[in-house]
Amino acid sequence: MNQVSVLAQNIPVESHAEASLLEVRDFSLRRKKATVLDRITLSLSPGETLGLIGESGAGKSTLAMALIGLLRAPEVEIEGSLRFRGTELTALKEADFRRLRGNKIGLIFQDATAALNPCFTVGKQIAEPLRRHLGLSASACRARAVELMQSVGIPEPRLRLDAYPHELSGGMQQRIMIAIALACNPELLLADEPTSALDVTIQAQIMELILDRVRALNSSAIFVLHDLALGAQVCDRIAVMYAGQIVEEGPSERVLNAPLHPYTQGLKSCVVELGMPTLTPIPGQIPPLDAMPNGCRFAPRCPKAQAICGEQRPETQTRDGRQVACWFID
Amino acid sequence: MWQATFTKLGQTLLVLLLVSVASFSFLKLAPGDPVTIMLGSDYSKASYDQLTQELGLDQPVIVQYGHWLANFVRGDWGTSYITNQNIFELAVFQALPVTLTLAAFSLLIALVIGIPTGVMAALYRNSWVDVLATTLAIGGNAFPSFYLGIILIWVFGVGLGWFPTLGFVAPWDDFWQGMWHLALPAITLGAWYVGLIARITRSSLLEVMGQPYILAAKARGEPGWRVVWVHGMRNVLMPLITVIGLQLGGMLRGAVMTEVVFSLPGLGMMITSAVLNREYIVIQAGIMLTGVLFVVLNLMVDQTYQFLDPRLRRRK
Ligand SMILES: Nc1ncnc2c1ncn2[C@@H]1O[C@H](COP(=O)(O)OP(=O)(O)OP(=O)(O)O)[C@@H](O)[C@H]1O
Ligand SMILES: [Mg+2]
Repeated sequence: MNQVSVLAQNIPVESHAEASLLEVRDFSLRRKKATVLDRITLSLSPGETLGLIGESGAGKSTLAMALIGLLRAPEVEIEGSLRFRGTELTALKEADFRRLRGNKIGLIFQDATAALNPCFTVGKQIAEPLRRHLGLSASACRARAVELMQSVGIPEPRLRLDAYPHELSGGMQQRIMIAIALACNPELLLADEPTSALDVTIQAQIMELILDRVRALNSSAIFVLHDLALGAQVCDRIAVMYAGQIVEEGPSERVLNAPLHPYTQGLKSCVVELGMPTLTPIPGQIPPLDAMPNGCRFAPRCPKAQAICGEQRPETQTRDGRQVACWFID
Repeated sequence: MWQATFTKLGQTLLVLLLVSVASFSFLKLAPGDPVTIMLGSDYSKASYDQLTQELGLDQPVIVQYGHWLANFVRGDWGTSYITNQNIFELAVFQALPVTLTLAAFSLLIALVIGIPTGVMAALYRNSWVDVLATTLAIGGNAFPSFYLGIILIWVFGVGLGWFPTLGFVAPWDDFWQGMWHLALPAITLGAWYVGLIARITRSSLLEVMGQPYILAAKARGEPGWRVVWVHGMRNVLMPLITVIGLQLGGMLRGAVMTEVVFSLPGLGMMITSAVLNREYIVIQAGIMLTGVLFVVLNLMVDQTYQFLDPRLRRRK
């Protein structure tokens, strides 16, 4: 119970001074022996934004789900540590983790149309975390919901409060999702491809809105994105994922302008050449989970691969202000 | 939305018209001449002609049908030859409430047992709970209700003497007596429905629980029971109502059987004894009333469905 109240209130972080908000250390996640996340190490300071970039199947959504505690043992096998404000998440009881979800950690889904319950009004769905985590009364919930809807740019929020999701456009629905995720002023926002289900014309608007709100609340955020250039533009730092591993991680402009890992270089070249995130310039695809190579997971597709790459996994090294996992950094 | 309502109403009227034609032809096609039946064995040609004229049987069939329909709509359904009772009163005020009470109580039992069973089966799918629930569901569906009724009478009525084996006490006259008399019939009729409801609940809930909005509810910190019973089940209600509606015919059929087994004075009993006594106008009234009941219930189910699914409701 004690731990619960510590989590629920805004008590200062218990660990060291430069204290990161989130510390992921050697975090691995296995599904039926298939290693979906392999020794992920990351850290995020308060107010910092991180872009998680990688092609389909890299494990980005899985990491987001693990961070918000919707993928936990015993459903999946977990190793390593996830520390949030100094609390070890992997050891947290389910009831305590629930008090973080939608409260200190918010999640924006890719497809708002599917992520909003068709049978409840948007007002009700925004009110849920307010009621549960902040204990607001019904009328206070409505008032706060109107404020939240206003803050995410929904015109005439008072009228829209009792609308059902299907009565709103896709863009409006995503704004509602954002309002729900930010309802309790989370310290960490996870946004899993928040704009890829939307019309291209409003993608930039919605991205801008999320960034605006995150800055206004001084929250940290992890954006799951496909596009390296967009990620670099939006986030302070970039982590490039490949087949469940982070292959390169560092400040955005360095990773974008001078990528060290061959995979990041490949990602960059396709952005530059085509102006959109297609991955054709990197031949091949992510190997299936049950047939991962022993050495570097990217080796079979890597233009620089040598014998050692297929045999031994490269250790992550610090180089030029970032973390890179490759045998041949030039 | 309005157009849909009008289409539905048109369909309903058409169905009612067909039912009325069918039950009118039934009387025409039935063996035996109603005039001879009414006059008895000894009659003169003059009295025969007079009664034929009084009954309008000398007129063209279409005119007879018109008269008959008008009388039916006015509630003038004639008098039973045997009990001399007003058939409208017998059918609508005596038999119908019994059948409706039995059906409603059975449905309630089926929902109260079927829904939790289906939910458990879905939540612990492929475990022994699921296997047991599925077996019970299929068993309940496959077991003939008259047979189950007889077994229940035999065990709980005759053997243990816990429940009365026949008769009906209106719950609005004496609630506990009414429930006590209804228990075995309602279980008999409800057992058939339990399996269906459990199966639909299970499969719909499994589908709903895989939807992103369920994950989203969890991501808001909603506790597990609310995720299932509020966010999940609210979406299961629609398919559930649909299936209940589709099976109303089966429910009415089952009610007839159950009433006979337990000697409940409902519509089924009324029609059955009318068949045995060859009281054609009572049979006819029974058919018409069952038809109207079926159509009205269907319409209600439809409205409920529209009400439950916000996507079918108002559009802005
Ligand atoms: N429910 C599941 N059961 C088993 N394996 C899964 C499940 N969900 C995802 N995976 C596997 O985990 C790996 C990572 O999937 P994940 O969804 O995290 O990728 P992603 O990087 O988010 O991809 P995308 O860009 O397509 O969203 C994939 O190989 C996928 O096949
Ligand atoms: Mg994903």
